[in-house]
Amino acid sequence: MAENRKSGAEQPEQAPDIRMFGPGRGRGGPPGMRPSEKPKNLGKVVKRLIKYLGKNNRLLVALLVIMLLTTAVTLAAPVMISEAINIMTYLDKYEPSSGVFTLISDSLSFADKYIDNTYLADIVKLLAVLAVMYILSSLFTLFQGRISAKLSQKTVYGMRKDLFRKIEYLPIRYTDTHKHGDIMSRITNDVENISNTVSGSVTSLFSAVITLVGSLVIMLILSWQMTLVAMITIPITIIVSAVMGRLMHRLFSRQQRLLGELNGQIEESVTGYRTIVAYGREETEKKKFAQISTQYKKNGIVSTALGGVMGPIMNVTNNLNYLIVAAVGAYFALKMPTVFNVGLISAFLSYSKQFTRPINEIANQYSNILTAVAGAERVFEILDAEEESGLDGKTLDISSVKGNIGFEHVRFGYNDKEIVLKDFCLNVKSGEKIAIVGKTGSGKTTVVNLLTRFYDINSGRITLDGHDITEYSKTSLRKAISIVLQDTVLFSDTVAANISYAASDTDMERIKKAAQTADASRFIEQLPDGYDTMLLRSGENLSQGQRQLISIARAVLADPKILILDEATSNVDTRTEMQIQTAMQNLMEGRTTLIIAHRLSTIKNADRIIVIDDGKIVESGNHEELLALKGAYSALYQNQFEGFAT
Amino acid sequence: MKSDETAFLPGAGKGARRKSAARNKKVRLSSYLRPYAFWAILSPVLMVGEVYIDLLLPDLMSVIVDDGVIGGNMAVITSTGIKMLLFVALGGLMGALAAIVASFAAQGFGNDLRKDAYDKVMSLSVEQTDRFTTGSLVTRLTNDISATQDLVSQIIRMFVRAPLTFIGAIIMAIRISPKFGIVIAASMPVQILVIALVLRRATPIYGAVQKKLDTVNSVVQENVTGARVVKAFTSEKKEIKRFDRANSDLTHTTYRVQKLMAVISPVMMIVMNLAVIVIVMIGGRDVISGSGEMSAGNVMAATTYITQTLMSLMMVSMIFQSLTRASASARRIREVLAEEPAIEGGKTKEGENVGTVSFRNVSFSYPDASGQPVLSDITLDIKRGENIAILGATGSGKSSLVNLIPRFYDDTSGSIMIDGKDIKEYDIGALRSKVAFVLQKTELFSGSISDNIRFGKEDASDEEVEKAARIAQAHDFITSFARGYDTIIGEKGSSLSGGQKQRIAIARALVRKPEILIFDDSTSALDLGTEARLVRALRESMKDTTIITIAQRIATVIRCDRIAVIENGRLAGCGTHDEMMRDCPEYREIYYSQIRRGEKTDG
Repeated sequence: MAENRKSGAEQPEQAPDIRMFGPGRGRGGPPGMRPSEKPKNLGKVVKRLIKYLGKNNRLLVALLVIMLLTTAVTLAAPVMISEAINIMTYLDKYEPSSGVFTLISDSLSFADKYIDNTYLADIVKLLAVLAVMYILSSLFTLFQGRISAKLSQKTVYGMRKDLFRKIEYLPIRYTDTHKHGDIMSRITNDVENISNTVSGSVTSLFSAVITLVGSLVIMLILSWQMTLVAMITIPITIIVSAVMGRLMHRLFSRQQRLLGELNGQIEESVTGYRTIVAYGREETEKKKFAQISTQYKKNGIVSTALGGVMGPIMNVTNNLNYLIVAAVGAYFALKMPTVFNVGLISAFLSYSKQFTRPINEIANQYSNILTAVAGAERVFEILDAEEESGLDGKTLDISSVKGNIGFEHVRFGYNDKEIVLKDFCLNVKSGEKIAIVGKTGSGKTTVVNLLTRFYDINSGRITLDGHDITEYSKTSLRKAISIVLQDTVLFSDTVAANISYAASDTDMERIKKAAQTADASRFIEQLPDGYDTMLLRSGENLSQGQRQLISIARAVLADPKILILDEATSNVDTRTEMQIQTAMQNLMEGRTTLIIAHRLSTIKNADRIIVIDDGKIVESGNHEELLALKGAYSALYQNQFEGFAT
Repeated sequence: MKSDETAFLPGAGKGARRKSAARNKKVRLSSYLRPYAFWAILSPVLMVGEVYIDLLLPDLMSVIVDDGVIGGNMAVITSTGIKMLLFVALGGLMGALAAIVASFAAQGFGNDLRKDAYDKVMSLSVEQTDRFTTGSLVTRLTNDISATQDLVSQIIRMFVRAPLTFIGAIIMAIRISPKFGIVIAASMPVQILVIALVLRRATPIYGAVQKKLDTVNSVVQENVTGARVVKAFTSEKKEIKRFDRANSDLTHTTYRVQKLMAVISPVMMIVMNLAVIVIVMIGGRDVISGSGEMSAGNVMAATTYITQTLMSLMMVSMIFQSLTRASASARRIREVLAEEPAIEGGKTKEGENVGTVSFRNVSFSYPDASGQPVLSDITLDIKRGENIAILGATGSGKSSLVNLIPRFYDDTSGSIMIDGKDIKEYDIGALRSKVAFVLQKTELFSGSISDNIRFGKEDASDEEVEKAARIAQAHDFITSFARGYDTIIGEKGSSLSGGQKQRIAIARALVRKPEILIFDDSTSALDLGTEARLVRALRESMKDTTIITIAQRIATVIRCDRIAVIENGRLAGCGTHDEMMRDCPEYREIYYSQIRRGEKTDG
């Protein structure tokens, strides 16, 4: 955000103080805490998500195969048990309901030697096969758990990686115009959400579908008449699910909306806490919060109660189904004992249970999946954003850069309506120090944004040593330029790593020398671990002046031909500035330098001062010349010292 | 870990102080459930009925199978069937009621806890909120409370149900045959051992996962906020590598814990299924031997019972998993609730409205800092209607000095008086209504511009709002918006620049018509012309208001009646510009750092 504020001078800021985003910021909190959005294009997003999963296609195939195996065992087990029950029920009248059992009985005939009772021997044989199946099934489940964990982790890893890469290559315009909290929340909360769904919902959904189809097939093989009977209550289940689902969805969205409001209120009042306290508004805020919280509670009671009712209703339906199967089955067994034996009925009783379970499961996972899809949509939105172009291309040979800069009739606006620079012309000679001054919003920072090609101009030409800068790759162009900003950006790494930020392969010698040039070596050596001191939270453990010195050292080591100081000392008080001044002078030595400042004292030593107003250069010259003009610069100057004369 | 896990159970948990209750009374989060105790107890009671019926069902089913299907007796099927359906309906009703009642309790608990925690945060001192950091407070109030509320509802719904089902199913199995009871009992220790071992190993890894997640998040944050620097130094590839390290670290750790957790389910399943096999085996032998004490239906019922016991065990293991995760949340909320408001207000509500401020030998150091004083022995009298500037280097303590006036922080020694009375004697609200503070960092709230200005005075009329905005030099740009004062801040397209926001914040302070107005370096985003017009307008329309301005620009302070210079926490001098130029070397130094160089080049 700090850097965003920079552009705020030229461009309306995205009101960073008033944003509302998920509280999971920096934590990746539970998915429920983020107001979920309804996916706009469910099918497309799901397809893409599956494609993402498909990137690990070997794992995906392995998972599917293993799930098929597990489900097969889960489905076959009840058949074995009911066959065992059949044996003990019918004894003499027992007839195997399928050839498979005869096969089992025959192939394991050695067991007959040890068990004198033939019925018991058959049961033992069945159970032995069952035991093997169960052991296999548990092993499969173990593998399934591992594979699905691996799949979800790999998917999420890849997704985060892609997202981050994308963020690195998004144009500055994107980060300037999107709330940082929102971008953050996408790469953390939303991805986390998808991860949970992939590892949880997707596998249980897969297995639900497989179970559903599998049990239907087996039931049909066993008896199509009984299958019809077992399906009688399905319409009830579907109707109940649909009606409840719709109700739940409405309550659920309301719940998420209220949650969003609640979090917004918390976020806002905690970050704006000083203001609330200073204006004695605690009671008003408390009341406001209590009101939303109570509304949230009421809605919560209704929706969780409804969710709680769902279970029992399904339970009643399932038991009704059970009863119908039992009654009709018994009736058939009585009337047509040759076709419908008790074993068959008991098999159907377990299958009808197996059959209703996945339907409930699918209904349960629905809302989870919706939330994840909404998250995926937000993730894909970033992935689909256009990347910064022109990073590759003709490489600028940095060693031959002289540092002559030319702006030729440059016209530029952040949007079509507001043109910031109109016919802007400026020539800077190699090694020249140019200060750019002007009112806020006059376009000072824009000049920097254009030279570094953070933004591209609408018309005109910017040249470096006579060549259009668009001829070169942005990467090599930026290597020739270093920027020192008002709000220093440091990274949570060691001091040494921060100084050598621009140069990846460098030795301690050079780092120390750069720190010396930047007048930073004294305080760095006093730090607990010297150059290896870790900067906490982007350098919060250093003073502003110290942070600025490190950023100057960073620029020294980068050894650019062109240097931009963008309000580099505005945040430092004037006496600290005097100390930094020496470092600055060292840094500017022999480089083409653009200095942007509203503090006139920092720019008076420039070779040339240009005054920008309304997108054009209105005055140009050194301090004395401009004062003598008694124009815009003189007015600005008087302004600063207004009251001095009175 | 132990104490955290049991924090919800009455009589357990580390003590936490509660705001409203007596000072020294130890309070646990469970006390928030007390008002809903009736509901919280009624729910499990209803559940007992539901579970009881659940347990009866396999028995009834076995009657249907044994007497109805095998015995070929349709009458038994219909009569038992109707009985069973009635039971199911009754059980369903109880289950539904239990769920409704449980949600009363859990939602009520969450609501009270949330409101109390919010109230508590609103009553903390600035220093206390600083210590918690705003980000962590937001997480505590949102995620953490949600997590504990979920846990409470889970406990109400499952903590009774699981053991009940567990014990009930064992009893039912033993009723069929004691042998079955033995089978079930024998399978338990294995399960419990596995769950305990896995959870013990998983808990620390969950903690590690959280840490790695924080690292990932901070790399993202740095890159989003520092995008310009990353691009300017063309470090994209380097940052991608850095992120990749954090990312794969997180992925590996998460995979490790998930791999571990994946053990639970198959182990439970294999034990459960093997127990089923043993039961069919034993049952089968008894049925075939024809002793008559066991039937095929009994065996079927027994397999259902063992499934139920193991399901309930699974539920318990799930509760323990959430407990481990929620215990950290509960601890974080308790920390907030345990915090005592550090600043206690006095009784004085009314006083003379004068606007004098006196510092008498004021010293101050931040509580957790290394004890080094930020301010030492400051004595300064500010007169009514005076316009005083405070100047000093960053870190000199000038901002701390004005933060003491509305008691954002309390001085360590000495005293501060407003209108002749020690600020500690004032009621906090009364004290703060005398002072309007414009902060260094502009904080606006969602709502319209006029809402934001009215934040300073709720019942301000439109005229008052406009007048404040005019003085703050905000009227012109506000009226240039299509919706003027009704412009919603934060809406796309109506975002404001830093300078505009600062001016709205100034208008917000002005609308209060305070006795004392403090600008804490809050004109930095204004260009000099605007700042000059603001000062002129303030002078004209707020003659009697005491104005304290903290600034860095000489040009800003030079217009003030008096200038105080703070140097290393001490008052280096105070007087008019001329006096200070004469007497105060520190002031001269600052002055020359900004002005003299210009004069020299002038001529």
